[in-house]
Amino acid sequence: MILAHVPYFVAAWIFLWGLYGIVTSKNLVHQVICLAIVQTSTYVLLLAVGFKTGGTAPVFADIPVGTVVVDPLVQALMLTDVVVEATVMALLLSMVVKANELVGTIDPEELKIMQG
Amino acid sequence: MTITTLIPLPIANPLIAAAFIALTGNWIGRRASDSIAIASAGANLIFALLILRGTWYHPYVYWFGNWWPRSNNVVLGICFSIDAIGAALAVLVSLLTTAALIFSWKIFNDTENHLQPLMLIFMAAMCGFSYTGDLFNLFVFFELMSVSAFALCGLKTLEPAPLQGAFNFAVVNTIGAFMILIGIGLLYARTGALNFAEVGRSLGTRSDALVLVAFLLISVGYFAKAAIVPFHFWLADAHSVAPTPVCVLFSGIMVELGIYAVARIYWTIFRAPLASHAPELRNILLVIAAVTSLLGGFMCYVEHHLKRLLAFSTISHAGLMLAGVGLLTSKALAGFVIYVLSHGLIKGGLFLCAGIILHRLQKIGESHLHGRGRGMWFTASLFILGAMGLAASGPFGTLLGENMISEAAKEVGQGWFAYIFMFVEIVTGAAVLRATFRIFFGWGKPAPTDKSSQVDEAPETKQGGGTPALMFLPAAALILLGICISGMPQLRSIAHANAELFINQTSYASSVLNNLQLAAPEPIESGPLTASIIRCLTAGLLAFLMAFATVFRDRLGMALSFTRRLELGNSLLRQVHSGHPGDYVAWLTFGTALLGGVFVWFLR
Repeated sequence: MILAHVPYFVAAWIFLWGLYGIVTSKNLVHQVICLAIVQTSTYVLLLAVGFKTGGTAPVFADIPVGTVVVDPLVQALMLTDVVVEATVMALLLSMVVKANELVGTIDPEELKIMQG
Repeated sequence: MTITTLIPLPIANPLIAAAFIALTGNWIGRRASDSIAIASAGANLIFALLILRGTWYHPYVYWFGNWWPRSNNVVLGICFSIDAIGAALAVLVSLLTTAALIFSWKIFNDTENHLQPLMLIFMAAMCGFSYTGDLFNLFVFFELMSVSAFALCGLKTLEPAPLQGAFNFAVVNTIGAFMILIGIGLLYARTGALNFAEVGRSLGTRSDALVLVAFLLISVGYFAKAAIVPFHFWLADAHSVAPTPVCVLFSGIMVELGIYAVARIYWTIFRAPLASHAPELRNILLVIAAVTSLLGGFMCYVEHHLKRLLAFSTISHAGLMLAGVGLLTSKALAGFVIYVLSHGLIKGGLFLCAGIILHRLQKIGESHLHGRGRGMWFTASLFILGAMGLAASGPFGTLLGENMISEAAKEVGQGWFAYIFMFVEIVTGAAVLRATFRIFFGWGKPAPTDKSSQVDEAPETKQGGGTPALMFLPAAALILLGICISGMPQLRSIAHANAELFINQTSYASSVLNNLQLAAPEPIESGPLTASIIRCLTAGLLAFLMAFATVFRDRLGMALSFTRRLELGNSLLRQVHSGHPGDYVAWLTFGTALLGGVFVWFLR
């Protein structure tokens, strides 16, 4: 059914849209945020992979063993992904701040110091 | 110390030391931080060597938390599945990090002590990367390696160029990491497993669109790390601005680990589904490897910034190493392993020599340095040895690697690759020799200036007289080890035997999932070296001639003015390496789409 596949199309769309944003960006902060957008596509994909129709949260404290639950492993993968994103974004944004201090601009066109 | 207690140590030891230095760095001072870092890296080297000795005869599988697969072969834990090849790579990581940290004793940090903890985390991540047997664990170590690399690249925050280099590096590699993650998600969706062996077993031989797309995305992500064309643009920018000890690690082992990851994932997971199309896949990978080698070689010769020159030569050699993996035979894989080990040592030594030049002469552009290196005989001799190592013309490990890869290429009917090898050897060797002749001997006229060679690095050290032993000894040790590795008896035979084990998917799965103790691999007879020696000595001679012709072209007349054209390069090609991260990502997207189209056309 096409309806069941919508999350995968959404993930692909977000991925490509984020890439487009990075390629055509004229502002370094905008580029970093587009990188974060590309990352959210991986979240959507992972969660879509783990979802089970009619499944409940994967905590067996108060439900009997054998109930249909969504996959907790992809949720763990996604959380790891979030942590990685936080680190990378923080690093990149601090570089952008430094670049602005030193060169006075956040336009990647102006910042092409090394070429060839 | 049993091997079971040893295995987590190469990861835990540097992380603990890094945390300690980061916490107490301000109180214990610079020298104590340096000493702790060097001690930790040295200890890692010893652990890695002991693990190598323990896994020399058969691979060892270590399950974290004792979560070995229970009843019905369902894997719930994460394992390190260490064979001799992974262990050897971890030894190289620890050795290069120790040498780099000893070298960095002399480098002043105007920021706080960030270099040492970051280098230790980088080393821990790369060791884990070489050992692991789980897809997502590989990804986590890949990200840890990448983030510490981004931070190390942009360490010199008082200049704008490092920020550009680190930003480009970070954007391209992070997108590669996302692609790997999507590939892992797709494989998990199909097989429900993350362990290499279990995914391989569950996948079986089905090959459909999902398997192809997963293979495409995972390969592209790791190729972006491995600086394969057209995902290579970040590498030159990153190397031009990173501190010297960091460049040693980037070119010496980080790039090569990307290719190792593709090899490991292909042979444990994708070999069976793609088995019917193995010859087409071989051709595709060889073409990519050839393009990478040629482009890297051309760009290497036109650079006049020493570190950028060495960076493009790394791209060129990465193409050769991809061919070692892409030929899809055990002999070529053995050649790949030997080439990684020897190239890492020689390239690391060359980068340390470039660091010595930066220390003594406070400049890194070939035109600014003309003739100023006269009198630095030891460094000059190391440079010449390094150039000959790159050209594989002499008793270097690279000669053995070239022999195995070229022989393997001939065996599968792709003998033309030996000529690509020769091209890379000639051009990269000639580039380093040309730089040596101009800088250390002062021959010929100063080099033409171009935009990238004008980017000067702020000196990393206080200028003093003479080359300090702490800088010279690591450089000399690395290059001499690159020579000694070729003297190891039966190196090719042992490597070939271990490569046979590496490519055997069923025995890998049995040793991981069923705890089967594998028999020691029998060394496989390796052929004569004569053809390789002739090819490589010719390449070395041609490299010398090319360097002479370039340096002395004014005296040698109009006939050799083509060398001037060669040295200035193609302006279109240079414009393409524009320094703009959006351009790099556009090429990444184009490359992925092209490779995807090729896969769908040939591998369905």
